[in-house]
Parts: sequence; C-alpha cells; structure tokens
Amino acid sequence: MKRTTRTLEEMLGPIPANIQAEVDLSFEISDRIDALMRQKGLSKKQFADALGRRPSEITKWLSGEHNFTIATLAMLSTFFGKPIITVG
Amino acid sequence: MSEVELYLIQDGENCTIYTLQFLRDVESEFEKFVTKFREDAEYSEDFSRIAAFIKRIAKNGAMERYFRTEGKMNDSVVALPVTSSKLRLYCLRLSDKILILGNGGVKTSQRYEDDTLLNGYVMTLQKFEQLLRQEVALGNVNITESTIETDNIFEL
Repeated sequence: MKRTTRTLEEMLGPIPANIQAEVDLSFEISDRIDALMRQKGLSKKQFADALGRRPSEITKWLSGEHNFTIATLAMLSTFFGKPIITVG
Repeated sequence: MSEVELYLIQDGENCTIYTLQFLRDVESEFEKFVTKFREDAEYSEDFSRIAAFIKRIAKNGAMERYFRTEGKMNDSVVALPVTSSKLRLYCLRLSDKILILGNGGVKTSQRYEDDTLLNGYVMTLQKFEQLLRQEVALGNVNITESTIETDNIFEL
C-alpha cells in the first residue's frame, strides 16, 4: 500500500484555533446528544417526534457542525434530565 | 480509461484515511482539493472548517452522521460538510473506520449532477467503489474492520 508523501497534518495545514475549538465543541455536543439518545433507545424519528421537530433538524444537531443556541441546549438538558454541556 | 491507485494518508485507532491518485497525476485527489482551496482568500475559512472536521473525524471515527449523504442510494459517497458551505468535499465512507477522501469544489448549483466538475468527482468515487467491490468479490482485495488491503491499479 502506497502512502502519500505528506501527512494529514501537513495537508490540512494550520487551522485557526477558534475554528478548531468551535468544531471540537460542536462535535462534543453532538456526540453527547447521540449518546443520550442511545441511552433512551430513541431513533432519530422518535426523538424528533418527542420534541416536535423535523428529523432534518435532528440530522443537523448530530452532524457535529451545528451552532446550538443556549435555549436549545437548555431544552435538550431538560428533555434528557442530564446536562448537555457544563461550564467551568 | 484512467488508472488510479489507493493511497494511505493516515492510519489511526478509530479511522483509517485514504485518498485516490490517478497514475497520470503528481497529486492525489485530496491534495488537489487542498492545493486549490487552502490558501484561497475567498474559501480559506470554509476550507479550515472542513479541515477541522477531518481532524475530528480522524480522532473520533467516520460516523455516518458526520457526513452529508450524496451519490446514489446504493453507494457510499458522502460529502463534507453536512451544513451549508461554499465548499464541498466528496468522500467514500466505507465504514465508521474507513474513509477515502476525494476531490471537491465550490457548490454553484442545487445538485452536484448539474455541475460537470463536481459530478466528475462523485463519479470517480462511485466507479472506484464499484471496482473495489468487484475485486473484493474476486478475492483480490481484502477489506478488514479498519483497512483496505490492496496494491491494485484500478482502471476507471
């Protein structure tokens, strides 16, 4: 198997710290929501129905790219009875 | 017919990342995408976001939900990012642990099929996957949980 001469790190180059931090946080949030859905045994459709949202909105939430509002994070914490993120 | 090889970019615990390179080319398909957009003033932020996603995927694994489904129902073509962006990178997601990065570009039409360049990048991945599956069926290529074992040259 041939390997590329450049590593992934070299190809991607320096990523602005604020963008990487934003992506890392939104991935962590989406992974947390996915884990909580699995704990409750909820499919995407069931989760969407329970919240009165469209499945396409849940898809965005789980993508690791969504920019959540505080209101949505609070609503999700309340729904699951567990924090989505903690501060400090 | 164009001849193409699979190149390993990075092997990791949670994800092995590959790309394709045409024998006629100096750069792989993903490197062409990098060369076009990494330093482009207009698209550098979109590129940085895609780069950050790839870094995260390399660490977490190539979970299906991290990608936008593209291509046809019976193929593994996906795109980054899921949400709207000026740029789109096409990939083949074979499993949570195997990802092949292709080429990509600026999304100017509603559907990739309406853009000759983007359609070409998707078709390259579709044809490659088809050939890969054929070679697996013939026993010439082995796909494990996290690797593709081949030194084949594929004729697209």
